[in-house]
Amino acid sequence: MAAAKRIGEPVLEVRDITLSFGGVRALLDVSLEIRAREILAIIGPNGAGKTSMLNVINGFYHPQEGTIAYKGRVRQRMRPHEAAEQGIARTFQNVALFRGMTTLDNIMTGRLLKMRRNFLWQTIHWGPALAEELEHRVFAERIIDFLEIESIRRTPVGQLPYGLQKRVELGRALAMEPELLLLDEPMAGMNVEEKEDMSRFILDVNDEFGTTIALIEHDMGVVMDISDRVVVLDYGRKIADGSPDQVRRDTAVIDAYLGVAHEA
Amino acid sequence: MEIVAFLHALLVEPFVAMWQNPEFLLEVAIGGLLTGVMYSLVALGFVLIYKASGVFNFAQGTMVLFAALTFVGLLERGFPVWASFLLTALAMIAMAFVIERLVLRPLVNQDPIILFMATIGLTYFLEGFGQIVWGGDVHPLDIGIPKSPLIIGGVLINEFDLVAAAVCGVLVTVLAVFFQRTAIGRALRAVADDHQAALSVGIPLKNIWVIVWAVAGIVGLVAGILWGSNLGVQFSISLVALKALPVLILGGFTSVPGAIVGGLIIGVGEKVAEVFWTPATGGAIEDWFAYALALVFLLIRPQGLFGERIIERV
Repeated sequence: MAAAKRIGEPVLEVRDITLSFGGVRALLDVSLEIRAREILAIIGPNGAGKTSMLNVINGFYHPQEGTIAYKGRVRQRMRPHEAAEQGIARTFQNVALFRGMTTLDNIMTGRLLKMRRNFLWQTIHWGPALAEELEHRVFAERIIDFLEIESIRRTPVGQLPYGLQKRVELGRALAMEPELLLLDEPMAGMNVEEKEDMSRFILDVNDEFGTTIALIEHDMGVVMDISDRVVVLDYGRKIADGSPDQVRRDTAVIDAYLGVAHEA
Repeated sequence: MEIVAFLHALLVEPFVAMWQNPEFLLEVAIGGLLTGVMYSLVALGFVLIYKASGVFNFAQGTMVLFAALTFVGLLERGFPVWASFLLTALAMIAMAFVIERLVLRPLVNQDPIILFMATIGLTYFLEGFGQIVWGGDVHPLDIGIPKSPLIIGGVLINEFDLVAAAVCGVLVTVLAVFFQRTAIGRALRAVADDHQAALSVGIPLKNIWVIVWAVAGIVGLVAGILWGSNLGVQFSISLVALKALPVLILGGFTSVPGAIVGGLIIGVGEKVAEVFWTPATGGAIEDWFAYALALVFLLIRPQGLFGERIIERV
């Protein structure tokens, strides 16, 4: 596969992460790496700790134990703001858009960190600040083109159907020009056609911009089709890590999903 | 018979009086409109903070008082108006920093009720602190806003009210442009919509909170100057905040236009009710009109005129 050749060194490594909430352990001693320019799928039954892992990576959750190495720095914990500044963007399982704002404004929020003028200038909204705004607007339009959402540019996203909201959310993440893109169930609740569109966008992003992508997905057909590597979590532990083919045949994985003892 | 006479006085005579003297009705309404402008300004401060941080800031009224006290204190020490305004604005910005650092940051992710109680504490602190620094006397405030009555088209209007309306109009326009057109305004709206998503695109919540508290402080300063020019700067100004509560219920806690329209409706409503229904009820309607109206709204439209629909997800 052509994509496999481009895959490079790990860009992000989590080591021995343990995360618990009170007495509930969400993650136990999980280590995994995300390699440059790969599409990594994190799968597992409900409650396996997949979303918790994304939250640890972008700093929403702070693990009790373990480290996160990213861009040559080893940390105990990430902070959301720092993660965003360092090129980590994400989407959410239940679509976390700014519902009262238009598609364009939502995507423009993704440009905030790229804006140089300080807020006094922005308040004046004149001269250099206006020029900068226009420059970012052009970028936002490119994303709108890319995701084929021209017609809903001015629509408040709260009024959009779910599938389109997911697309706008991807657009906002892309506006950050991320190096690492975390997608939490990008295709949940979509019909077949929408899933195909979304798969195509994810592959295109990975291909055209070389963006590293880690995604959580339940649709195994999609996972096997688009990912270079699959990590399987179950009850907060990592039970498998490998190519889609390896994982598909892994007995521990089959057990976790079917929940029955099987015979060799 | 007595009941009929009472109902007649309550339901017929006021409207007859309005019909017979429409200029007078207009004057009363305009007078109310301008009280309403000031309610709006106080309510605006609440909305700004509530939108961006989900905190119901009980201290908003005290912030108005504190700003007015600081402003008048500086004036009395010989600073010119513009310098007093600037220095007080800076003081409000500094206060926003301190509040974020000492009150909001340690309580981040706590329940709204906890933050609400913290702002009650803040109220008492600011009242005491204001008195320590500036004393507890009533300060007259005159920054040269003309107060002479004008006759426009046969209707008597106080010049001061016109100035107040103009100031409010400019302030709201500036805020609207700031919120709708600038990147920082976009960030503010983003935070108001979804904290987590805002964090994920790298909006620093802490800075946003400082900005909204500072803006609310400056809006409070403007409100304080206008109220103070009218009534003198005294501790009862902080009670104006109580009138802002029905305004918020009417307009919706999350809506800037709602705060404005709600303030105007209540200002006009209570003045008209006071003037035209006093013969029937014996007066003092002004004191409870706003609350009664708010009660009706709570029953029929709890999200207010412009508020977001309240949808509870389980």
